[in-house]
Amino acid sequence: MDNLKEDLKKQIIEQLNLEDITPTDIADDALLFDDGGLGLDSIDALELIVLLEKYHGIQVVNPEEGKVAFRSIDTMAEYIRKRKS
Amino acid sequence: MSLITTYCHLSADQCSVNGKVVSTRERSAAGSWFKQIYKEQEFVYPKFYKMDALSQAGFLASELIKRANQGIVNSYKDDEIAMLFANQSSSADTDLRFMHSYEHNGAPSPSLFVYTLPNIVLGEIAIINKWYGENMFAVLPKFAPGFFADYGRILLSTGAKAVLCGWLGVLGDHIEVFVWLVENESENGLDFNKENLLELAGI
Repeated sequence: MDNLKEDLKKQIIEQLNLEDITPTDIADDALLFDDGGLGLDSIDALELIVLLEKYHGIQVVNPEEGKVAFRSIDTMAEYIRKRKS
Repeated sequence: MSLITTYCHLSADQCSVNGKVVSTRERSAAGSWFKQIYKEQEFVYPKFYKMDALSQAGFLASELIKRANQGIVNSYKDDEIAMLFANQSSSADTDLRFMHSYEHNGAPSPSLFVYTLPNIVLGEIAIINKWYGENMFAVLPKFAPGFFADYGRILLSTGAKAVLCGWLGVLGDHIEVFVWLVENESENGLDFNKENLLELAGI
């Protein structure tokens, strides 16, 4: 099990108040901003930026980076590992 | 004649519709009181969890009124239902939480920021129901039945056929919510006047 991905799921649920969802409901490759995935909106995107800074000390300053990074749990984890390496 | 046809009360311990208790707070239950009502009443609208307390109060009361008065959904065009809400504390409940988010949690919360205006609750209700009628949120020193009666009549004489009115007192543990529906074309209800409002409100 990838701890970073599991942590990310818990952090997203807490930060975005997704009370009906558990980490197991979120597939690693599910599209976060697609209705078939988590169905997040633009305010949630801002919360994800806050989440990355709060929990991982990463500032997203380039909006284009966010577009790619926030596609899924997989891409978020990849982005965090890349920024920290 | 304009009549008050349905009404809902939310206090710190009870939720009632037309005077009949539909939920009683369980202090030992996990989560907030509003979430308890949401679950007990089996509403399904995931965005509820993202709303602030003021919008949750408006959502619950308006949905309970719709459930008790199915006509509101079917009898009116989307621009024939107006909304007229007010309270004493504006969005202070969320304003304080937002301040706390950047003073103590390191970063301002965007999802709290979007609720730092009291009229957002009107937008939430309008979006859910696709209502495009007039709407207004006033901040008043105290519950003012005369304000609702006078302004409500203006709305009902300028295109609206029904007005969803509400006093949304939500600040911390203080919950004093009274939401009611006024309809022009109904046979059953109480006259829409300030005396009846004062008596029904219990505020």
